[in-house]
Amino acid sequence: MSRTYLGEFEELVLLAVALLEQQSTGAYGVSIADELKQRTQRTTSVTGVHVVLYRLEEKGLVGSALGGATLARGGRRKRLFTLTATGQQVLREMRQLRMGFWEALPTPFFA
Amino acid sequence: MDKPSPNPLRTPPWADRLLGWLTPAELLEELQGDLQEQFAQRLDQVGLRRARWWYGLEALKVIRPYYLRRRLARLTHWPRDFFLKRHATPHSFFTPEHPSPPLINPDMIRNYLKIAWRNLIRHKSFSAINILGLVLGIASSLLILLWVQDERTIDHFHANGSHLYQLYENQQTTGNDLNTTPTTPHLLAPALVAELPEVERSVHMTPGTMLLLAVGTNSYRQRGCYASPDLFRIFSFPMVQGNPQTALVGPSSLVISEAVARKLFGRTDVVGRSVRVGNQDDRQVTGVFQDIPANSSLKFDFVLPSEPYIKQKSGTPRWSMNGWRTFALLRPNTDVAALNVKMLDFIHRHDADLTKVTTVMFRFEDTYLHSKFTNGQPDGGRIEYVRLFTIVAVFLLLIACINFMNLATARSAKRAKEVGIRKVIGAERTYLIGQFTGEAVLLTFLSSLIALTLVQCLIPLFNQLTEKQMAIPYANPFFWAGLLGLALITGLLAGIYPAFFLSSLQPVKVLKANSSTALLRFKTGAVLLRQGLVVFQFTLSLLLIIGTLVISRQMHFIRTKNLGIDRGNVIYMRVDGELTKHFEPFRQALLQASGIQSVSSAAEDPLYTGNSTTGVSWRTKLQTDNTLFFVLPVSYDFVKTMNIRLLAGREFSKAFPADSTNYIINEEAARRMGIKHPIGQEFSLEDVHGTIVGVVKNFHLNSVRVAIEPLVMPLATTNTMLIMRTQAGQTERALASLEQLTKQFNPAYPFTYTFADESFERLYKSETLVGKLTRYFALIAIVIACLGLFGLAMFMAEQRTKEIGVRKVMGASIGSIVALLSGDFMKLVGVAIVLASPLAWWAMHTWLQTFAYHVELAWWMFALAGGLVVGIALLTVSFQSIKAALVNPVKSLRSE
Repeated sequence: MSRTYLGEFEELVLLAVALLEQQSTGAYGVSIADELKQRTQRTTSVTGVHVVLYRLEEKGLVGSALGGATLARGGRRKRLFTLTATGQQVLREMRQLRMGFWEALPTPFFA
Repeated sequence: MDKPSPNPLRTPPWADRLLGWLTPAELLEELQGDLQEQFAQRLDQVGLRRARWWYGLEALKVIRPYYLRRRLARLTHWPRDFFLKRHATPHSFFTPEHPSPPLINPDMIRNYLKIAWRNLIRHKSFSAINILGLVLGIASSLLILLWVQDERTIDHFHANGSHLYQLYENQQTTGNDLNTTPTTPHLLAPALVAELPEVERSVHMTPGTMLLLAVGTNSYRQRGCYASPDLFRIFSFPMVQGNPQTALVGPSSLVISEAVARKLFGRTDVVGRSVRVGNQDDRQVTGVFQDIPANSSLKFDFVLPSEPYIKQKSGTPRWSMNGWRTFALLRPNTDVAALNVKMLDFIHRHDADLTKVTTVMFRFEDTYLHSKFTNGQPDGGRIEYVRLFTIVAVFLLLIACINFMNLATARSAKRAKEVGIRKVIGAERTYLIGQFTGEAVLLTFLSSLIALTLVQCLIPLFNQLTEKQMAIPYANPFFWAGLLGLALITGLLAGIYPAFFLSSLQPVKVLKANSSTALLRFKTGAVLLRQGLVVFQFTLSLLLIIGTLVISRQMHFIRTKNLGIDRGNVIYMRVDGELTKHFEPFRQALLQASGIQSVSSAAEDPLYTGNSTTGVSWRTKLQTDNTLFFVLPVSYDFVKTMNIRLLAGREFSKAFPADSTNYIINEEAARRMGIKHPIGQEFSLEDVHGTIVGVVKNFHLNSVRVAIEPLVMPLATTNTMLIMRTQAGQTERALASLEQLTKQFNPAYPFTYTFADESFERLYKSETLVGKLTRYFALIAIVIACLGLFGLAMFMAEQRTKEIGVRKVMGASIGSIVALLSGDFMKLVGVAIVLASPLAWWAMHTWLQTFAYHVELAWWMFALAGGLVVGIALLTVSFQSIKAALVNPVKSLRSE
């Protein structure tokens, strides 16, 4: 079976989209970057996040639509990203893949 | 939020500009919005400074391949959906919103070149003709341009070049004519520095003199000069040993070149060593300078201080005594025009007698190319040849380009189908133009590479011919840029017509079955243009051929012109060392020797008299008369030795002791003086009074470019050049006697001599070179033009195979078919002759006017050139025609 391969950062961004699209802020560049920074304690640049989002969009894992503009954005609209069915599928597969590994470990070295 | 301002967010403007510039348009809004939102957040958390800093940093991160690639794709109008599926439009690839790829993009260029290469390989004979023509054209123009470049850089290496000036004297001769000479009095240089604040330094020097330099028994005749101390401070002739400021100050100093140092001492650190100069005085080497570069017009191997020389040579220094070159280094920002006005009466102020002599300065860098003067204004010189050859180079390239255009348009019928199919499939006109230009450019690049190799092989020969030391400047980026540009321009020039023509074809017409009628219709335009180009090509070739003919006729005329002097069987030898003191016994001994007819001497080469003066007077001379007299001091038997006709009076003779102050003049002098019977008339030269004892028939004192001027010949006090006439056919024996006697009388000096003929040839060096070069390049031009003709004939014959077959079947003779095929071309050549003749007449007439004595243009020159071209063209075309005519019609008609 051909699998869509994701890089580690791509996977994190995809997860962030899945998480944030449920919330009121929605999943867009800044919210994703904030979420990632908060959870991973590493600096994430919005520019970099955008590149990953476009790439995910080209792979068909996320969809997007233009949202509202605010004054803080200089009157510019934001692009809100949502997980597509394929995206959900890929995330699920990822999880299963990792779980499979954990379960295969005879003695988990931390509990 | 802050209060409203033009940029309420106060993000760094440069970062916004960068974003706008680098971010793909369709992504800009969301990305910049996100960044500004983040900026607003950070503004609250960390303050303005750091927020701005972060913003800038983020903006910089747009410089990453992902955005750049997309941005580039936008710039080149690549379909966006090539990258981003979001905007994909499924129905059409190219829409107004998503235009087609442009002409210049890497993939298409690769494609153009690939197709070009395939076409090149498929049509080998056409490619060969094209490439050969282009190689010849590019190689010869490259050689010419190297020469031109070399000529243009002569004397341009001096660090002070921009304010280094040479002084010229304008002498008003008869009427208001000005005679401009670079010879100036030696008094001028020191006076300039003393009296003009604009002049920083000034130097005078003599033209080259040959002197013997000896260290022990190691002796060589070398070319050197006398110069004032600032020579090495004005010119950039770097000294490797010694102090350039003081080297020429002492009376017994001597500065030599590295080459001379090596010759004499075997090494170059020779300051303080002693050298015997002219076999009489010992000089201390005070400096060694780097050998003068090839691109210098001033050439010398050693320099002696001028001051002792001036003291020894003449009594009272006078402003009327010329013979020195003067150079001045002006202070930066000097207004030269104003200075020249100030200089007008400079000499007159010092010597009230010299009313008609003015001084003027010209920038030294320009004097090499602009050394001809008319009425005191620079008027050509070598620059004319430089321009001429630049034009020739362009001509050659043009002829080669035209070949390419012609062959490409001729073959257009064949490629028309290809064009039609491409267009139907969806190729746009720009693609086709790109493709055809690509082909041309590929071809010119290939040709340039081959041409470069050819030039590399030919350059030693070319150097020999032009007496230069040129090399392909591989290390110079400008050369490569130039070559690349040349190839590109040639390619574009050669490819542009076929490109536009072929791409304009309409697919429907071209692809219609049995399309010959349609093809014929669009072909008439092409045929007309092709014919025009052939005419143009042959017009250029004809111009070059007629030029060659006229130039070589003129050179022949100069060589054989009766100069009034018989230079055949005449040998010159420098008189120096012991010979100066014992000249008379030496002369007597020579006269006794076998094979020698007559011996005399003169101050310089009588065919190249340089000294002139206005310091002459005679009884009836008017106050306003300022006739310039050339002066040639000669010794006994001069008229006899040079075979000059004596019109009246006699030669100098030992029987008349008074001859030391007597004069011989030429016919022209007598005419200008207005004296019918000059013999016995009083005459004085530089205040030395005497009488005229002889009048000789006019002979050329100088290049035949200038008219014969008045000449006065005093009796020489010293003998500088031995002139010896040998008996006809006895040259070998005479030379042997001369050598033996020279060795005997003057053992310290090496024996050297020149034939008057050789010395004469040197006078016309540049003309001879131009003659040779035009001959070669005319040949190349005609070869290139004929190559094109050959290709066209080949194509025509191929195209008309069927017609020829039918004609033969109907009973046409081979002769009539050859005539049919050649006739078309001959008409074109005929038109070219009609066009070229008046043009060539005008050009050559203008050139010949630069000679005071020249051949007349004759109709046969044009007829000969025309005949030559017709003959060659006929030969070229008939080869193909005959081939086509001989083909068995069964073969040519069977195909299909």
